[in-house]
Amino acid sequence: MGHVHQRLASTTARLASSLSTAHLSKFPPKDLLFVKGREIPTATIDPDTWASLQPPPPTALSAFAHRIGLSSVLTSTEVIQQVCTHPSFLQLFKQHTPHERDPATNGQLAAIGNSLMGLFATEYVRATYPYLPTRVMKAAVTAHVGPLPCANVAQEMGATPLIRWQRSRGTLLKSGVLHSDALASIPRALTALVYQQRSLPSARQFVHSYFLSREVDLRGMIKFLDPKKALLEMVKKFQRELPKSRLLKETGRYSNSPVFVVGIFSGEDQLGEGFGSSLKMAEYRAAEDALLRVYLTRIPPHLVQLPSQTFPVGVGDVYKKAQEGDYKPPDLVESEIMYASSGNSFTHST
Amino acid sequence: MRLPPVAPIVRAKLGSAPANGHTTFLPQIRKLVVEYCDRWPSSDNTRTFLLNHIEDVARQNPHVEVVVRQRSHKEPIIRGFYVNQRDKVVPLNGLEVTQIQKKIELLLDSSGAKIKPLKKTVESTTEAARGIWSGLHAERPTL
Repeated sequence: MGHVHQRLASTTARLASSLSTAHLSKFPPKDLLFVKGREIPTATIDPDTWASLQPPPPTALSAFAHRIGLSSVLTSTEVIQQVCTHPSFLQLFKQHTPHERDPATNGQLAAIGNSLMGLFATEYVRATYPYLPTRVMKAAVTAHVGPLPCANVAQEMGATPLIRWQRSRGTLLKSGVLHSDALASIPRALTALVYQQRSLPSARQFVHSYFLSREVDLRGMIKFLDPKKALLEMVKKFQRELPKSRLLKETGRYSNSPVFVVGIFSGEDQLGEGFGSSLKMAEYRAAEDALLRVYLTRIPPHLVQLPSQTFPVGVGDVYKKAQEGDYKPPDLVESEIMYASSGNSFTHST
Repeated sequence: MRLPPVAPIVRAKLGSAPANGHTTFLPQIRKLVVEYCDRWPSSDNTRTFLLNHIEDVARQNPHVEVVVRQRSHKEPIIRGFYVNQRDKVVPLNGLEVTQIQKKIELLLDSSGAKIKPLKKTVESTTEAARGIWSGLHAERPTL
């Protein structure tokens, strides 16, 4: 068996949860048993496929609803079942049980939830980091509510044994469905359900507590092509004196481990400081430090003003007419510098 | 001047690290399976526990799926299934009812992670809060 087949087999074994049969009305199914009168026993269905068609036990679904704190929103097992059924499951279901009613899937809910999550994440990142460049803000939104964190949160919630889905290869016209795609649809569907059953502020609370409280490394997302050039542009935008780098401290200049500490100044104000084993390295780091001090300026959580807080609190959708919430718009800050802000992920300009 | 190369950001790898408990807490246990034997005397205390206390445990922990299973001609055990897809198995033979309750609490409180000996005194995702000491930034000694 080649290594690709081995990996597929081990992944399938890991994902195939042991089926609990207590809640099933007919077990074992007659199809899978030996049929008398035939020489060779034939089963109409493969046991693994049969297992993947079975619904999870209602006790597991109810426990899931309580674990995520939405037992009052997800009142019936059918709703939780809908949230945990990916649209890819429909084809498998129709193929093997054509005479039964189609199960409800979470496709539409996931689409609504995805839009809501994007809204909440964008306004939060913008309000918390007003000086962040646009491309970094987009990356931060993906890091908070993108497909990977959605799949991770679904796994942490314990939705892996509850999801009903079908793996499919990507074709030219349709993209494939992987386990992480199926899992990612669950938190999105939950967000949409919270919005539908309660209100937009409640959905925002759900997204803030499960996604926007997670740790995201913004520093790692801010990459510089030429920080000295970028700092020069920024200083001109803020109409300050041109940056000048000065050596603050040094030690071991001609030894095998020198350390230089360089500060970048605009007039008398120090903008940034950097260390390095060469003067150029220290100056580069000082320029990076100066830019990061601007980009990562953070508004403290108690002063953050989110535009969606104008939506009235109380059960109802966004069209409900009620007393609007207070919102104090923040002051407009200087726009971002144009150097190396094409919006694409970084590639070297030739 | 040749500048250091910049690695591009790949969209598929953009993610966040979990912070369970910062705003909301997700309990790590999802299922508890108690397995007992009907005949053997080693399961006596387990059967007493199941008749008297298991319902209270299930009511007080609605986030856990509690399953009772028969395990004939074997010693009684409890299995805990966790969100990280690991399970913990605890044998119950030789334990009194109160001790069985303690084992149940042990499984309910566990995270399911493998028990590894801690080598460092402090494990953290962030650097030191007060900063790392630098000789070049410290005050010059004065007499």
